Amino acid sequence: MAETLRRVLNLGTSARSGVEDTAEAGPPLLLLGGPGSGKTALLFAAALEAAGEGRGPVLFLTRRPLQSLPRGTGAALDPLRLQEVRLRTLWAGFPWKDCLRYLKVRFQYPPSTHELLQLLCSAHEARGPAPSLLLLDGLEEYLVEDQGPQDAAYLAALLLDTAAHFSHQTGPGQGCGLIVALQTQEEGVSGDALQVSLLQRYFPAQCWLQAETPGPGQHRLRACLDPGGLGPRAEWCVAFRPNGEMTITPWPTQAGNLSLDKGSSSGGQP
Amino acid sequence: MAAALAGLTLPAVVEELLSEMAAAVQENARIPDEHLSLLKFIFGPSAIQALDLVDRQSITLISSPSGRRVYQVLGSSGKTYTCLASCHYCSCPAFAFSVLRKSDSLLCKHLLAVYLSQVTGTCRQLKVSDKQLTDILFAEKKQKA
Repeated sequence: MAETLRRVLNLGTSARSGVEDTAEAGPPLLLLGGPGSGKTALLFAAALEAAGEGRGPVLFLTRRPLQSLPRGTGAALDPLRLQEVRLRTLWAGFPWKDCLRYLKVRFQYPPSTHELLQLLCSAHEARGPAPSLLLLDGLEEYLVEDQGPQDAAYLAALLLDTAAHFSHQTGPGQGCGLIVALQTQEEGVSGDALQVSLLQRYFPAQCWLQAETPGPGQHRLRACLDPGGLGPRAEWCVAFRPNGEMTITPWPTQAGNLSLDKGSSSGGQP
Repeated sequence: MAAALAGLTLPAVVEELLSEMAAAVQENARIPDEHLSLLKFIFGPSAIQALDLVDRQSITLISSPSGRRVYQVLGSSGKTYTCLASCHYCSCPAFAFSVLRKSDSLLCKHLLAVYLSQVTGTCRQLKVSDKQLTDILFAEKKQKA
């Protein structure tokens, strides 16, 4: 799903090309970053982007309901309260096209690893149109319950297998993408390095989110997208305004500008 | 080959070997000796063990009306292992140790046997209901619990 995330990250820039405008899903992508690094916001932006393509619904899996929708569009809503969506649309100038996209994002909240596995194993029993994008937020919460690397591998493999099944249902030329967000721990805690290494087997593309500290009251991140040998690496600056709104700009490429401290992100960022 | 691709794809040399083996089997109904030699060179003892599993027709492709599929391999110990069809996963201990933990091996013998059974066309076919396929996939996790 690297290409969908690349399109999301390029939305705030003028760096869009005809190639990036295609509906090509790209390889499964692992979105990594520490707590509060914007993973959920980017996942949701990818959900809206895919929902807007009109190819099929988007399935968003997370352990617990989002308390507020990430404010990529300048509003915070409870996705379960459609009435609030309608009111906000009428009275607050909420972008109508984003409202329509929200309705195409199906949220499911498997509360445990057992429930998540059951959901994935039974995905082929579901009726209705196959999703065009499968998203999972908070993979680390489901891995905590597991016994070892084979369990983590099975969960990762099942996610891929489920997306592959959905792709088979949608037919050639379309496919179902997969993006999974994994929270990495702070530097010095090496326990998750083996886990990240194992997951990287199954997710050829990765996007690392690393916090920068430009000044008080500002929250800025460096997003580094590595499509796994299928394209060039690229970087963006993801900033969050005080009202929570997310803005994305290309990362400055001149020497002497903000440099990436490769050692500050745990999990072996390349 | 980048390790990050190891869960999804085979190295190009292995892909080419399997492709040539498939063409040779189609033409001559057997795998040429030179292909077997190369297979043993790449995969070591696992190659012999995988070929033995193929000879004994130990690989079954299980599918349901939904189109979703999974492989099951009857191991030499009599235990059945589940291999996913879309990426590299096998429920056997050797996959957990040699492939995942040590990265000594690209595939376990069961996954290699799956690939070889596709080449030789000796995979058994079993059709089950959608619910039964769910149970087969989910049973993998329940066995470990």
